[in-house]
Amino acid sequence: MSNTLKATKLDFSLVKPYIKVIGFTMLLPIAFAAINRSILTGVSFAMCFIAMTTGYTFSVTEKNSMERLYGILPIKKSEMVTGRYLFVLALGAMALVVSLITQPIVLRAMGESVGAFDMISAAIGGLFLFALYTVFQIPGYYKYGAIKGRVFMYIPVAGFLVTLFLLPKLPSDNPIINAIASSPVLLLALAVALVVVMYAVSIWFSVQIMKNKEM
Amino acid sequence: MKLIISNVSGVPIYEQIKQQVKAAILSGELKEDEALPSLRTLAKDLKISVLTVTRAYTELEQEGFVKNVQGRGCFVMGRGSELMREQLICKVENGLTDAIKAARIANLPNEELHRLLDILLEANTDD
Amino acid sequence: MTNYLEVKNLSKFFDSFQLHNISFTLPKGYIMGLIGPNGSGKTTTIKLILNMLQRNGGEIKIMGLDNIADEQKAKAELGVVFDTNYFSDDWQVTQVEKSISVFYPNWKSERFAEMLRKFHIAPTKKVKELSKGMQMKLMLACAFSYDAKLLILDEPTSGLDPVSRDELLQILSEYIEDGEHSVLFSTHITGDLERAADYITYISYGELFFSGSKDEFVDMFSIVKGGIEELSADLKEKAVGVRTFPTGFEALVKTEDTVAFSSLSIEPATIDEIVVFTSKKGDDYE
Repeated sequence: MSNTLKATKLDFSLVKPYIKVIGFTMLLPIAFAAINRSILTGVSFAMCFIAMTTGYTFSVTEKNSMERLYGILPIKKSEMVTGRYLFVLALGAMALVVSLITQPIVLRAMGESVGAFDMISAAIGGLFLFALYTVFQIPGYYKYGAIKGRVFMYIPVAGFLVTLFLLPKLPSDNPIINAIASSPVLLLALAVALVVVMYAVSIWFSVQIMKNKEM
Repeated sequence: MKLIISNVSGVPIYEQIKQQVKAAILSGELKEDEALPSLRTLAKDLKISVLTVTRAYTELEQEGFVKNVQGRGCFVMGRGSELMREQLICKVENGLTDAIKAARIANLPNEELHRLLDILLEANTDD
Repeated sequence: MTNYLEVKNLSKFFDSFQLHNISFTLPKGYIMGLIGPNGSGKTTTIKLILNMLQRNGGEIKIMGLDNIADEQKAKAELGVVFDTNYFSDDWQVTQVEKSISVFYPNWKSERFAEMLRKFHIAPTKKVKELSKGMQMKLMLACAFSYDAKLLILDEPTSGLDPVSRDELLQILSEYIEDGEHSVLFSTHITGDLERAADYITYISYGELFFSGSKDEFVDMFSIVKGGIEELSADLKEKAVGVRTFPTGFEALVKTEDTVAFSSLSIEPATIDEIVVFTSKKGDDYE
C-alpha cells in the first residue's frame, strides 16, 4: 500500500465515530429528489451535503492534537495531504453512488422516468459542485483550522452569485461558448478537465501550507 | 552476590558497587574466573545508569580485581583476593606504624605496646 | 561507537524566544536526559529533531540519517512519547494498532499484543478510558511493536504518579539493556533521572549549559553550607549561586574550587540543586 493510501485509511478510522451521521447525510437527499421529482436536484443536494462533512477529519485531528501523530509518522507531508484529498474524494464518490442507486428507485416508484442521460448529467453536475465546494475548503482547514476554515466552504456560494450576475452580460454570439453549450461531450470534457485542474491547484496550495506550518 | 545501593549514604553509587564487589571477592563469595553480573543487566536491575556501572567495573579492572573480556563480560582475577589481602596488610602495617610512632612519643616500652595489642585483640574477639 | 542522535549547532529563532547553538550527541545504547527549567527550549529542541518546527541553523542526524533529507527513513526508526497521547480519543486500543501499524514495515502484531499484556492494557478499551499512565504505556507499546531504535520522550513524567514514573524508568532501562536502543528524555522532574540517565544535556534559557556524562555533571559541582558569618567574599565570588537565610547559607560551587573552603560543610550536589542554582541568574533581568 502506498503511503498516500495509508493516510487515506487513517482518515477513515478518524471519522468512524461519525459513520451514522455520514450515512444519514448520504440518504437525506432522497427526500429532496422526491420533492422536486428530479434526480439532478437530488444529486446536487447530496454532493453539497457530503462536502459539508469534509471538516470532520480536521476537527477530530484538532480536538486530539493529532498533528503530533502526523509529525512522527514516517510519511511525507505531501503524502498526508494527498491522502486526505483521496479520502474526501472517496467519500464524495460514495455519496454519488448511493444517490445514483437510491434516487432513481424512489423516483421510478413515484412514476417519474429517469433516463441514462439524466443520470449522467446529474453525476457530472454533482461532481462539479462537490469539487467546487471542497477545493476551497480543504486548504482553508489546513491554514486556519477546523472552525475558521469552514468559512471557505461559502466561497463557491459567492462564486455562484457572481456567475449569475455576469451570465447575462456575456456576449451571446461568442462561437466558443456556443460550441461548448451545444455539445454535451465537449461540456463533459471541459467539466472533468476543470475539476482536475481545480484539485491540482488546491492540493498544491495545501501541501505548501503544510510544509510551512510549524506544529 | 548481594549488591545494595544506598541513596543517602553520600558515597557515590559506583564506589558502593566497587566496595561490595571487593568484599565479595575477599570473602570468597566471588571465586576466580567467576563472572560479575552483566553490566547492562546490573544497571537495569538496580535502575542505575549504565555508565555508572561501567565506571565501577573499569576501576575494578584498573585496580587488578577483575578482567574485562571483550564481548563476554567481567571475570574475577585469580589474584584478586591476594591483591585485596595485600592492600589490607598494607593498611594494617600503616596502622601499626602509626601506633608505634605514638608509643615512642608517649615513651611506652615495647612490652607495654605488645600487651596493649593483646588486650585489644582479646576485647575484639568478643564481637 | 555509533551515535543514534547527533545535534550540531542547532538554532531556532522565535519572536520572543531563541534557541542558540545547541549541540549534543547520544551514543547507541544509552539514556540521555534533556533538562532545564520550563520554557528553556527542551520541547523546541525535540520538535526540531522531529522536523515539526523548521530550524534556522544547524544539523541533526538520527541514526546517521539527516532528519530532513531522510525524514521518513529516520522516523521509521523513531518512537515518540509526548506528555499527552496523540491518538483519537474514540479509538479502541485495537483500532490504534490498525491505524498506526500500516505505516511501519517492521510492525509485529504479536509484539503489540505482548506489550498490552505486560502493561495490563485491555485491547477493547477506548483511548479516552485509559489513565494518563496507561496512555503513555500505549504510546510505548506502539514504539516497541516496530522496534524503534531511538525513543524520544517529551516530559513523559509530568502528571504521572510515582508508581507510573517508576514503571517508566523500569521500562526504559529494560529497553536499553541489549545495548541496541537509546533514549532521549526531556523532563523538569530531575529526580527521575538522577539514577537512570547516562548522559545529561542541560539547556538554560535557550543556551546549552552542559552536555556530557551525568556523573561528570554531578561531580562538577558541590554544595557548600555554613553559618551566615562564614560566607566570605572569596566564597561569594567563586559561588555559581548562593541562597542565604537568617541562620546560614547554601552555595553551589565548582568542585575544583571547594578546596579553599574545606573547613565548611561540603556535600555532593544533586541535579536539582545544580539546575535551581544555575537558573537563578535569570532573576537579574526580571
